[in-house]
Amino acid sequence: MADSAPKPSSSVKLVLLGEAAVGKSSLVLRFVSNDFQENKEPTIGAAFLTQKCNLPTRTIKFEIWDTAGQERFASLAPMYYRNAQAALVVYDLTKPTSLIKAKHWVAELQRQASPGIVIALVGNKLDLTNDGAAGGGAAGAGACDDDDAAAAAGEDAAGDARKITTEEAKEYADEEGLLFFETSAKTGYNVTEVFTAIANAIPETSLKTNRGPGAAHGARHEQPGIDLGRQDDGASRDNCAC
Amino acid sequence: MLSLSSFVQKAQQLLDPTQGLSISSDPDRNPSKASLFQSQFRLPSSQHPLYEITAELTIPPANATQGDRDRDRGFQYAGKLHLSESFLCFSTTPSSFLQSATTATSSIFTGQTHGGGPNGNGFTFPLCAIRRVERLHSANFQFALAITTWNGVSQEAAKDKDKKELREQRITLQLAGSRQACERFCDGLKRGLRANVGNVAKLKRVIAECYSEYLLRPDDQKNAVPPDAGLGMLFKYPGDPKKLRDRAKMRLWAEYLRDNGRNATLLRQPTFHKLIRVGLPNRLRGEIWELTSGSIYLRLENPTLYADTLAEFQGKESLAIDEIEKDLNRSLPEYPGFQSDEGIGRLRRVLTAYSWVNADVGYCQAMNIVVAALLIYMSETQAFFLLSALCDRLVPGYYSTTMYGTLLDQKVFEALVERTMPILWEHLVRSDVQLSVVSLPWFLSLYINSMPLVFAFRVLDVFFVEGPKVLFQVGLAILRINGEELLDAADDGAFISVLKSYFARLDESAHPASENPKLRAVTKFQELMVVAFKEFSGITHGTITELRLKNKDAVLNNIESFAKRTAIRNLGPDSKLLSSDELGALYDRFYGVLYERQQRDQLLKQQEQARRAKASRSRIAEAASEGHGVEKGRVGLGPSTSLMDYDAFREFLAAMCKWAISDSPAAPRRDPVAEQRGYGSTRRAEPLSPWGSGPEPADHEFLQRLFRNWDTDAASTLTLQKVVSGMARIKGKRDIMGSINYFFELYDDDGDGKVDREGILRMSEALLFLSRRGLEGASSSSPALALGPDGVVGPGDVPGQPVSERFLGSVSAFIRRCFEYADPDHPRNQPDGSVQDVGSKLQATRLDEDPAGEELANPDAFAIGDDDDDDDDDDDLLAMDSPPGSPKAAAARPSSHPPPALPANDNNPTARRSVSKAQSEKANIALDPANPLHITLPTFRMVVLADELLEHFFETAFPASFHVIEGLASAASASPAGASSLTTFTSLGLGGAARAISGAAAPSPAAPAAACAACWTTS
Repeated sequence: MADSAPKPSSSVKLVLLGEAAVGKSSLVLRFVSNDFQENKEPTIGAAFLTQKCNLPTRTIKFEIWDTAGQERFASLAPMYYRNAQAALVVYDLTKPTSLIKAKHWVAELQRQASPGIVIALVGNKLDLTNDGAAGGGAAGAGACDDDDAAAAAGEDAAGDARKITTEEAKEYADEEGLLFFETSAKTGYNVTEVFTAIANAIPETSLKTNRGPGAAHGARHEQPGIDLGRQDDGASRDNCAC
Repeated sequence: MLSLSSFVQKAQQLLDPTQGLSISSDPDRNPSKASLFQSQFRLPSSQHPLYEITAELTIPPANATQGDRDRDRGFQYAGKLHLSESFLCFSTTPSSFLQSATTATSSIFTGQTHGGGPNGNGFTFPLCAIRRVERLHSANFQFALAITTWNGVSQEAAKDKDKKELREQRITLQLAGSRQACERFCDGLKRGLRANVGNVAKLKRVIAECYSEYLLRPDDQKNAVPPDAGLGMLFKYPGDPKKLRDRAKMRLWAEYLRDNGRNATLLRQPTFHKLIRVGLPNRLRGEIWELTSGSIYLRLENPTLYADTLAEFQGKESLAIDEIEKDLNRSLPEYPGFQSDEGIGRLRRVLTAYSWVNADVGYCQAMNIVVAALLIYMSETQAFFLLSALCDRLVPGYYSTTMYGTLLDQKVFEALVERTMPILWEHLVRSDVQLSVVSLPWFLSLYINSMPLVFAFRVLDVFFVEGPKVLFQVGLAILRINGEELLDAADDGAFISVLKSYFARLDESAHPASENPKLRAVTKFQELMVVAFKEFSGITHGTITELRLKNKDAVLNNIESFAKRTAIRNLGPDSKLLSSDELGALYDRFYGVLYERQQRDQLLKQQEQARRAKASRSRIAEAASEGHGVEKGRVGLGPSTSLMDYDAFREFLAAMCKWAISDSPAAPRRDPVAEQRGYGSTRRAEPLSPWGSGPEPADHEFLQRLFRNWDTDAASTLTLQKVVSGMARIKGKRDIMGSINYFFELYDDDGDGKVDREGILRMSEALLFLSRRGLEGASSSSPALALGPDGVVGPGDVPGQPVSERFLGSVSAFIRRCFEYADPDHPRNQPDGSVQDVGSKLQATRLDEDPAGEELANPDAFAIGDDDDDDDDDDDLLAMDSPPGSPKAAAARPSSHPPPALPANDNNPTARRSVSKAQSEKANIALDPANPLHITLPTFRMVVLADELLEHFFETAFPASFHVIEGLASAASASPAGASSLTTFTSLGLGGAARAISGAAAPSPAAPAAACAACWTTS
């Protein structure tokens, strides 16, 4: 788990996009610190976090930009997805409008972001559906991010609140060539898998240049200070709101 | 044309220098004197600089006895005295405008205030806070005034013995100016004082909420309940009061306020600014913020606004409220007050009330953090007004729906970094670190959740008095201090972590290793303040204004192109029928029209005001007329509207469809380039056409139908979505059947698949209306059209003319065939005979017969369009020759309109006669109202397809007549105004037809027939 020196390590810039209250920050929090935080201040602009992902042949350090969900912050998004090599477009399985918004983001990324960006479509809040009920969950894990407390509270967690079928989303994802996952940030189901799949999908070539096209220089140093293991506590979170 | 208009403009300026210049569409570039005055003294936008005069302020020393005018012992300040409707202001800071400048212009303001803030030393007295003004007789000065204020008015009620303790606040002003100027100023002051006497009670209520009144209360009120000085009174103020030396600060402030007046009657002396720089004491913080930001004057203006708003909208819901609810629990959650219902409730109420008052902004994340911070130190009402002052003046556009202010200030900040720290800047560029990713939250939340709260509040203390430049100075200082480390940081992550750890150590010593204990005691935060305000003292309000101006367009363009991308993508499946170029052009045209119209509206209003002001010659009105010219309607600035009404729709069409341009001549075209740009910012001083620089759009029944058809939910307004869907049906599928069906549907009012007699006539009118400037797409690609059977079209002819001429015949045939093949509503007789035969027979009859022309055979048969419209239209036609009575006629004069009007008018009676002829004719055949009839879609289709010109019309010409992408600008510039094609008719000797067709521009049942008839009779 610790950095064994020989494994090549490279960083990947990943951006999270999606409608407000779909659970973007929860996903990141789950991935980065296997945790959640109640009453976290809303994301102003974007939060920046890092996390390593160990693959058999290499180590990927994700630099995660978790963007604000409120609609009016959308015009700031280009600032954050600039040069991103990967994107997580998140929607809420229980909210049809959120998939529409997700599709808009996918279209925006495909047209405006770096060519070759790896996009994963993620349907979150699986725990609110029957499929997710079996997954169980951490006690009181109301992993709230950006605004989903109210939305989630409205749904009856016991019943099946699913509004978007797996097939529908999967079909769209296949059409557009996206990775596709259904997750629950609350239970942690499938969260790591998303990031691992993205790590695997990043082509070697783009790792060599480190930042995809548009990067002026490949010379980027690993910052030894931010080098922390997966299951570490909050120390690995570089949740910057500065 | 251009030189003429500029000459007119010049002449106007000579006559009245305040004219012309005040009408500018770009308030940034040419800020009005009023707006500069308001921002200098932080006054509400109701205030205008009415009088100003150079003056010297003398403040008696604290211990001087009343009436002692010993100059050596007082404080004296030279500066300028200003009078507005309800304020008397004095400032030592050079005004942001020259005294000699007209009310509309301003000199360049350097913005250098030496730490005094834009309002410098002096005072800002509401006139209702002035108790007495005496003119002093003195040999030394020509004019001197002694002003006594209501300082401590709340104590007036106290016993006489307290009154003695309370020193009356009395200052002296020596006016420097001509006797006349001084007299004028004094007269104005007298009037103002009289007008404001009634507000003293209001003032008392407002200052009762100020903590200073409690702080300086007389002894016998020691047990009084203190006014609300924020949640801090209940939940403790952040930070260790001992460490903050709160008690000592409070003592200093009490002393200062005792000597210099409090709240509304406060005198600003250098100590005031110094005391602010070292940090405000907790309980006075809210009040001083309110005072320095000027929000107290907003509160004074309308003390009950907050409570009234809450009451008015109680129980109502909105999107903003939903968004607010989600964030209430996440606003400064570490502060105990916001873990309580009390704190959350206050936050909810303030944010909600503001979202109602300023619905355009509504609620933006980060406002919750800012307001939460304010609420620690001030009451709900105070926070509400301070939030207004923030959003409107201090950080304009930060929280708007496009957040353009935020993005703009990031560009400004980047420019400043590049200018002041080139090495760091180059490093950022080289390592591809985007600065705003780091700095945006600093500005957006005013450092509140970037630094520890105690320090963020210190920044706010200075920010409110000195303005937005403080945010930049502090930001630059942060980068400067951490420069070394930042140069080692090679990516966003490292960059962020350097700053994060710096913020966490702001209370540590800046020089821990120093030998000098004094130096060692300096904290990093103190160092930051010193660097910010000493090293970056060159960053002034002027610098910021200039850079904002420079970057504004680029930022707005960026936002707009993003908004455009998003909007186009969000359009429904219909949009797939149009090309992306077409969608882009529709988007531009849609918002272009809305923007232009709002700008024009604004300018017209300003002109109107200016006119009125000129008429009344009143200084106040003149001042009021100055544009608080807020640019409205531009997408990048947030939504003022995204709905298109019918008039805007006409204008929208007139920019791309020849037929949508009115035949009654428009105002002379001007500057087609600006028009094409869409967001034209041309300055115009001459009277504006209600249609701006574009041609005047037609108003025809067809346009109304089209509008209604596109307006799918009958909202009387079109959204971009509806426009795109509507256009997709016309241009989207390029098949003739779709086009025919669509046209039929336009006239099938009740959707029962039938169009009745009236509808048939209206259809034919529309066909004439649409074709009266020629058919489009009728190019050489269709040889059958170029060479008609009658050989009218010679090879040398312009293809458009004869075709449109023949089209009149086709329409005429269309009417006949429609009636011929129409199904009676009571199935009786079936039509027989070949279409062609009947058609030609009819034509023949009509040409040969010459019945009594004047009589309208069966007027009732034509009770279709209302006669008023008809008349109006005739008026329009006649107006061309009538003496300039109508504005249209006047507008027509200067244009180079050809004289076809005359013959046209002469021909008019002929055309009319033909109308009646045709009417009587048709009345005989199929127009018996006793026999209701209709055509169905298949019949319509058949009739259309029976005529190759009509077929061509629906296949190509109609869809092609919408020049979505290229617009009409190029075509029109070649042959200015829409009149050219009409002259073609006249040149053919078809003046009557031309006139009659323009007659068709309004719902007029006679027109189509008239057109046909005229055509046939003359050819």
